[in-house]
Amino acid sequence: LKSTRVSSQDLNSPSGKPVTELSVRSFIDMGFTDSQAEQIYESLSSVGGGVAKHVLPTLTALFVLGLNPSSAHKVLEKCPELYSVKETQLQQRISNLRKIGLVEGSLQRVVVHYPRILTVPLKRVKHVVMFLKEKCLFTSQQVTDIIRDCPAVVLEDLNQLEYKFQYVYFRMGIKQAEMVKCRLFRFSLDEVRCRHTFLERRGQYETPDKKGQTTIVNPKLDSVLNVDQDTFLTHVAQASAEEYDVFKRLVSREWREEELQQGRIEPD
Amino acid sequence: EKWAATRPKLPPTRLAVHHFDATCGVQLGQLWPSVRVAMLSERKYGALLNNFSHNAVLAGLKAQGCIDFIIQPGLEQKSSEESSNVCVKSSDADREQLSLSPNIKCLVFPRSDVTRFKPARPDMNGLLGYYLMDAASLLPCLALDVQEGHTVLDLCAAPGGKTLALLQTQAIRFLCINDSSVSRTARLKRVLHSYVPKAFLTNEKLRITSFDGTKWGEIESNTFDRVLVDVPCTTDRHSVMEDDNNIFSKSRTGERRRLPQLQLELLLAGIQAACPGGEILYSTCALSQNQNLSVVEQAIYQAREKDGIHLQVVDLRPLTRMFRNTFHFAPDLHLGEMVIPHLTANFGPIYMCKLKRLT
Ligand SMILES: C[S@@+](CC[C@H](N)C(=O)[O-])C[C@H]1O[C@@H](n2cnc3c(N)ncnc32)[C@H](O)[C@@H]1O
Repeated sequence: LKSTRVSSQDLNSPSGKPVTELSVRSFIDMGFTDSQAEQIYESLSSVGGGVAKHVLPTLTALFVLGLNPSSAHKVLEKCPELYSVKETQLQQRISNLRKIGLVEGSLQRVVVHYPRILTVPLKRVKHVVMFLKEKCLFTSQQVTDIIRDCPAVVLEDLNQLEYKFQYVYFRMGIKQAEMVKCRLFRFSLDEVRCRHTFLERRGQYETPDKKGQTTIVNPKLDSVLNVDQDTFLTHVAQASAEEYDVFKRLVSREWREEELQQGRIEPD
Repeated sequence: EKWAATRPKLPPTRLAVHHFDATCGVQLGQLWPSVRVAMLSERKYGALLNNFSHNAVLAGLKAQGCIDFIIQPGLEQKSSEESSNVCVKSSDADREQLSLSPNIKCLVFPRSDVTRFKPARPDMNGLLGYYLMDAASLLPCLALDVQEGHTVLDLCAAPGGKTLALLQTQAIRFLCINDSSVSRTARLKRVLHSYVPKAFLTNEKLRITSFDGTKWGEIESNTFDRVLVDVPCTTDRHSVMEDDNNIFSKSRTGERRRLPQLQLELLLAGIQAACPGGEILYSTCALSQNQNLSVVEQAIYQAREKDGIHLQVVDLRPLTRMFRNTFHFAPDLHLGEMVIPHLTANFGPIYMCKLKRLT
């Protein structure tokens, strides 16, 4: 092992010992296993000293949040960018998530599951929240649920997001509550569109009219999206995998060509 | 741009789909959703090879993965549960029974392959190497079973895809090509000139007219060995896909309602134009029974009652057996055969029924 030692501020590890410098030992003292400690140490020396100074605040923040060393290690492994986030920013971002309504438990799960959320600037997250409330008319509680269940939404392109929302709202006739329940934002627009268009062209899904009525009973969004392809095909579409496979290739070509054409008509 | 704002109130394509949901849903039952999604998705073409062109396109198309479905139907798509041997043998037997012209060659991309054909290019004489058409449209031409020295009438011929296929056989002594629409006949002439050398387009070999086909029996009865009656119909695939020139538009309701009657008159005229012993092939690109089986049933009845012409329905099952790996056929039609669209083989719809004049 290299014996470079990076001096840093004090940190009270869960084991209670104050940590003053970064070494494999110090990470072990914080409660990481030997191999976790070595991994952290190595990734630190590879990112360089300028960044390394954030490691203790980052770890502190994660511990304060209530993550145990094993979860904290997982988080850093998934998202080494966190090493370089400034302490104040990290604190602001975490407290913003609380403000959005993520309660204890949910907050931790979101961070462990999708640590990148802590790398997203505060302004961006606030912007997405505003967007969901104002453009898509989700309630505050619904927005909380969306961020909790589909945190990646904070990084999605807002035009795409709006298009996806409008597609599901207008074309599929789905209200906000159901979108949230089905975790719509976990799926890409193409995934949603592909399954829906398949059903629609088969005559198994209808856009409700102005009064919200359809001549057939549409399948529930949940049964269309939250199932694997086989289940979707056998239980909902009642079609063969071979047909659906051809269909996917055909519509993706169709959509690509539509986009090209629209691009040609309105170049900007 | 909001979805709601971009959707006009029931365009003809939607009216067409509604109509088919109501009629074909009943007629095709469980098969309808599969047919529906296929009709609403990109269709497949076949490349009818032009034997008159000097462009050697065959090798190039084969290199791209195309298959001549007429020459080797048994070899295309050997399915694992089905011994290809048995398949080839039975289709060989059918082929002998059918005596299909070896000169009609049509290439298609295999099942589930969605590759598109490039536009055909002219050879040194300006003749194009292939004609792109619904491969299922060739079945009526094959089923017509043109033999050496025949006189043939193509009653509703424009824009000429089937005419071109018939000319490929190079067996026809005289071909009458007719279409009541003058503009469409003009288009047909342009097609012929892009594919067939002038030497084959002489007055001794063919005649192109723009008469009302329903009157043909009065003009020239008991004459032709073979008659192709490829009638105007609801052109189902076009009707669900294109709003332009759509027969389901409100303004054309009357015309659409009159179609079965027009079809019946055309078929009866075709029957009268055939010679005793001659054969008539009726075809549409529509799914509806009203334009298919019902028209044929009535024509058989009226030909007997009014004209004293007795007809026999010719069994086309050898043909469907032979091409079942290329097309999806509707099961259990009690009269005629029909190719129904399917995403894995997105051809059709094509209905056809063959009649033989006994008297
Ligand atoms: C389905 S299309 C024929 C397609 C053609 N056989 C081909 O393969 O390219 C039907 C044609 O019937 C023609 N038609 C309509 N009414 C007719 C009539 N009364 N007599 C003759 N042709 C008619 C239309 O102009 C149209 O071109």
